[in-house]
Amino acid sequence: MNLATFPWLTTVILFPLVASAAIPLIPDPDGKGRPIRWYALTIGLINFVMLVYGFYTQYDISSAEMQLVERYDWIPQIGLQWSVGADGLSMSLILLTGFITTLAILASWPVTFKPRLFYFLILAMYGGQIAVFAVQDLLVFFLAWELELLPVYLLLSIWGGYKRQYAATKFILYTAGSSLFILVAALAMAFFGDVVTFDMRSLMAKDYPLTFQLLVYAAFLIAYAVKLPIVPLHTWLPDAHGEATAPVHMLLAGILLKMGGYAMIRMNVEMLPDAHAKFAPALIILGVVNIIYAALTSFAQRNLKRKIAYSSISHMGFVLIGIACFTDLGMSGAVLQMVSHGLIGASLFFLVGATYDRTHTLILEEMGGVGQQMPKIFAMFTACSMASLALPGMSGFVAELMVFVGFATSDAYSFSFRLIVVCLAAIGVILTPIYLLSMLREIFYGNENKELTSHEALIDAEPREVFIIACLLIPIIGIGLYPKIMTQVYDVKTSQLIARIRTSVPSLVQTTATVPVDQTVLAPTAMQAPELKLS
Amino acid sequence: MESLYQYAWLIPVLPLAGAMILGLGLISFNQATNTLRRPSATFIVSMLGGAMALSFAILWSQVQGHEPYLVTFEWAAAGNFHLNMGYTIDHLTSMMLVVVTTVAFLVMVYTDGYMAHDPGYVRFYAYLSLFSFSMLGLVMSPNLVQIYIFWELVGMCSYLLVGFWFDRKPAAAAAQKAFVTNRVGDFGLLLGILGLFWATNSFEFDIIGIRLQELIASGALSATLVSIFAILVFLGPVAKSAQFPLHVWLPDAMEGPTPISALIHAATMVAAGVFLIARMFPVFADIPTVMTVIAWTGALTALLGASIAMTQNDIKKGLAYSTISQLGYMVMAMGIGAYSAGLFHLMTHAYFKAMLFLGSGSVIHGMEDVVGHDPALAQDMRLMGGLRKYMPATAITFLIGCLAISGIPPFAGFWSKDEILGAAFEANPALWFIGWATAGITAFYMFRMYFSTFEGEFRGNQQELRTQIKQLSLPAFGPGAMDPHELEAHDSHEHGHHASEPHESPITMTLPLMVLAVPSLAIGLLGTPFANYFEGFVYAPGEPVPDIAEIAAEFEWSEFLPMAGSSIGIALIGITLASLMYISRKIDAGAIASQIRPLYEFSLNKWYLDDFYDRVFVRGCRRLARQVLEVDYNVVDGVVNFTGFVAVISGEGLKYFENGRAQFYALIVFFAVLGFVILSV
Repeated sequence: MNLATFPWLTTVILFPLVASAAIPLIPDPDGKGRPIRWYALTIGLINFVMLVYGFYTQYDISSAEMQLVERYDWIPQIGLQWSVGADGLSMSLILLTGFITTLAILASWPVTFKPRLFYFLILAMYGGQIAVFAVQDLLVFFLAWELELLPVYLLLSIWGGYKRQYAATKFILYTAGSSLFILVAALAMAFFGDVVTFDMRSLMAKDYPLTFQLLVYAAFLIAYAVKLPIVPLHTWLPDAHGEATAPVHMLLAGILLKMGGYAMIRMNVEMLPDAHAKFAPALIILGVVNIIYAALTSFAQRNLKRKIAYSSISHMGFVLIGIACFTDLGMSGAVLQMVSHGLIGASLFFLVGATYDRTHTLILEEMGGVGQQMPKIFAMFTACSMASLALPGMSGFVAELMVFVGFATSDAYSFSFRLIVVCLAAIGVILTPIYLLSMLREIFYGNENKELTSHEALIDAEPREVFIIACLLIPIIGIGLYPKIMTQVYDVKTSQLIARIRTSVPSLVQTTATVPVDQTVLAPTAMQAPELKLS
Repeated sequence: MESLYQYAWLIPVLPLAGAMILGLGLISFNQATNTLRRPSATFIVSMLGGAMALSFAILWSQVQGHEPYLVTFEWAAAGNFHLNMGYTIDHLTSMMLVVVTTVAFLVMVYTDGYMAHDPGYVRFYAYLSLFSFSMLGLVMSPNLVQIYIFWELVGMCSYLLVGFWFDRKPAAAAAQKAFVTNRVGDFGLLLGILGLFWATNSFEFDIIGIRLQELIASGALSATLVSIFAILVFLGPVAKSAQFPLHVWLPDAMEGPTPISALIHAATMVAAGVFLIARMFPVFADIPTVMTVIAWTGALTALLGASIAMTQNDIKKGLAYSTISQLGYMVMAMGIGAYSAGLFHLMTHAYFKAMLFLGSGSVIHGMEDVVGHDPALAQDMRLMGGLRKYMPATAITFLIGCLAISGIPPFAGFWSKDEILGAAFEANPALWFIGWATAGITAFYMFRMYFSTFEGEFRGNQQELRTQIKQLSLPAFGPGAMDPHELEAHDSHEHGHHASEPHESPITMTLPLMVLAVPSLAIGLLGTPFANYFEGFVYAPGEPVPDIAEIAAEFEWSEFLPMAGSSIGIALIGITLASLMYISRKIDAGAIASQIRPLYEFSLNKWYLDDFYDRVFVRGCRRLARQVLEVDYNVVDGVVNFTGFVAVISGEGLKYFENGRAQFYALIVFFAVLGFVILSV
């Protein structure tokens, strides 16, 4: 078989879906699902390996174009095509999806209730998630987006906590309701002009008038604001996250939130640049509100899962600011923040789940002093919290720094606006450690908790759990130490994107020349030995 | 020689490798690693020993006149933005490397004795090694971003180490307070870095300095704005070096084990702020407003620290406030442009204060035999006294430290402090006066500490005094920090008999004390005004190389003697007062305290700053967060739930109108799309 023509993306989308159909055939003698989970894990691993192999052999990171493109007519009568492809933006998130979903399967070990259905849904999600990031046809995108909701709804409503029905219903109402806007906007774009098409590239090439752009932009924005989420459309998230089990949690925080950010860059920014130029200041303000508002609510939360859920919302604020700052660095930071939060959020939610498995409570007042019995979980929790509060040397710091520098040096906004926004966003830098460290203090520090140890066996982390966290921490620290390993995947793409949208911002055309950039200073100066100032 | 510089990256990497190996061992083979106590410690100490040897070699080569050295590689890039990382070695770095590695090495040796019975012995070494890595990386950083990275890392290590005994609630609170207070400073530092980058497009110290001057000269940038950026950057050192008003975390950080207090909270990390000011000197030096702010912050902090230290009864807290005060001197020196003097004081202070802290640790170690493992009792000076008989080595080294910090010649502190005071006198006599008065207070409280600890009668066996102190100590721990039940819990854990007399600490603890006594005694001689070798080596960037002989030729006894005489004089007054109060008891300290009750209370309550912060910031932040959450729950989510409720009600009514077929929904969507297109065309 020719590697270059092998349909890598279609395969990685369909393989888990097909494989999940075989789950009912697997014998499960004791009803606890041991063979099924091994099966699911194997499928997940094979898919991830295929994904990485395809990326490694077929993907050229120095190109900003769509790669691994496949096109098949699906329903030619309405111009529907199965077309998939990946550029830097898609590729990094597809890789993240494969990684997190495989780990989530490994994290599902404690699930023993209806294992067949559970793993079926997880594998179905696997394919569906990749499809969202890979499809290049707006209608198929909408279908994939909708199909994605179904497994999540079931996973929430069957395996959730006490209020699972409420949370699941709220989730489905919110997201399904908002995705109608995607359909409306997609149809409007498709029928605009002479050619009816859903192909994203052709849609991008169309020349829309500004009013139309603004309307479509707003429709997309509402849909993606629910997903990302943006305050005030966020209230489904704490409920959904508060009730989900750990593996579902990892998928929700690790991947589903990123769909909002991805789609916003793909559609709002790439297809509707003129409208983006108009909307960008609003995005910045929403981003700042996200950061501060969610950090404060997180601080006041007494429920561990909801606390972390709000911290996710807070971190997504940086994505918004990054998207809207019209600089390479900011956009690059936004993508990195998505990848980084995917890893960090997944690890924190996994640890919350692991802690809950032992303490069987999520209320902070009932915990405390469990550090002595569970030193390994304590250590891992500390490490992941540090990653979340953007400790340098970990990925979150790099992403936030890139957004900060990108925005501070952006020439699209007035100086005072930038000053205020940067100051406010930096308040988040103070608030994040406040809620994360007091959370750690309340869970782990203090004397042995007699009330809890009397009826719960607090066993320390098992090797499987250490392994999962290690898998997540390695890329977190890797990116933190040397961000280029991640940024190079999508760097060309974001630069191209910024170059494209900058032409639509009228104020930028004149002012770009005024910023003096001394290339001799900023250029890479590798190993320039005895050369320094003092003398 | 060149290869020495090419491998200089090993200096931070060696301790990092040690920390990582131990950390991996603790996570994967916890029990096995915890039984290998001595081997682990030896491994970590030898890794740091290697780094120390390299540091000395580099210092030697720099003293010989080797060129500064810089290595960078591209770390992050996006579009035309490139950010490099790497390491730089110049005179300042090489001096800092030696200071950090020597103190860290001795502290690690000391730790073996101090933490001998602690179950977290191996973990402690791993943290210590991680801290050494971060601190060494900090001093080798070539640009602001890298400094910021390591700046945060040392903060994290401090957090981990202050909260080392995580079964103690006050330790957890102190660790969090330290981290969050430092984050407030980092907030400023980050904004300052961003502002300076925006203005100059560079993260490198001297390039920023040059470009800023150009921009101000050409009028492209207002001087006010530049001052704001620079002051924001200065907020970083304010938090890290415990300057007013962000000093409140340092005394609480004494909850950590004593070796940490010596290494992080006296000798190295807290000095990082002064180091950053030194690095930013090319930027700060040309902005007079900023220099004034720095100088006065330093002076105020020096006075504040000393005035609070006078009334502390906890030996470690007393030393902590003394550290705050001494850091104030350094910052003040930087602010008046006395670059070399400030760094010289940094170096001498690192040695004598590390020794004092380790000495206090030795005292606590001895006291614990008598009063048990209770920090409230073991650290209280009212229960000590007469310890010189039992712990002679500790007593002598502590006395040397006291003499050094009080500024008695020829001990180290005299030369560095006198240089600062001399410079302050030339810059602004008011600053000099504050520094001079503080020197007197310093001598007083240090000898109050020495006399009540080592002289007189041993008071540790007086049971009523113990119970009294225990009860008194409860509120003194600060708002909400200490839960009274915890003391009871501690009591119930105590077992075995206590000795009636304290004992001298083991050799691993006294040896580092004796080694540190040497620089505390003699290192000041490097910077005497007649032969200032230190200034010949570490001098402000951009200034001509000072010629030692020239400085020595300019030296005049008639200038030196009044300055030195006045500072020795006030120090002697302080010492005499302390001896009258705490040895011969000719003056009753209690009577004086009751006569100036308001002042005494003001000092005892740390100028009421902790209460103020607690009331305004801590509780204010909590209240705000709770209100936001209520809004989120009742208003934002309430609207959603209400809409859902309305939808259910109206859905009941509407269901007679709709036919529930897909066509109907399709029709709605169709009209919506049509509306879009029509509206926009």
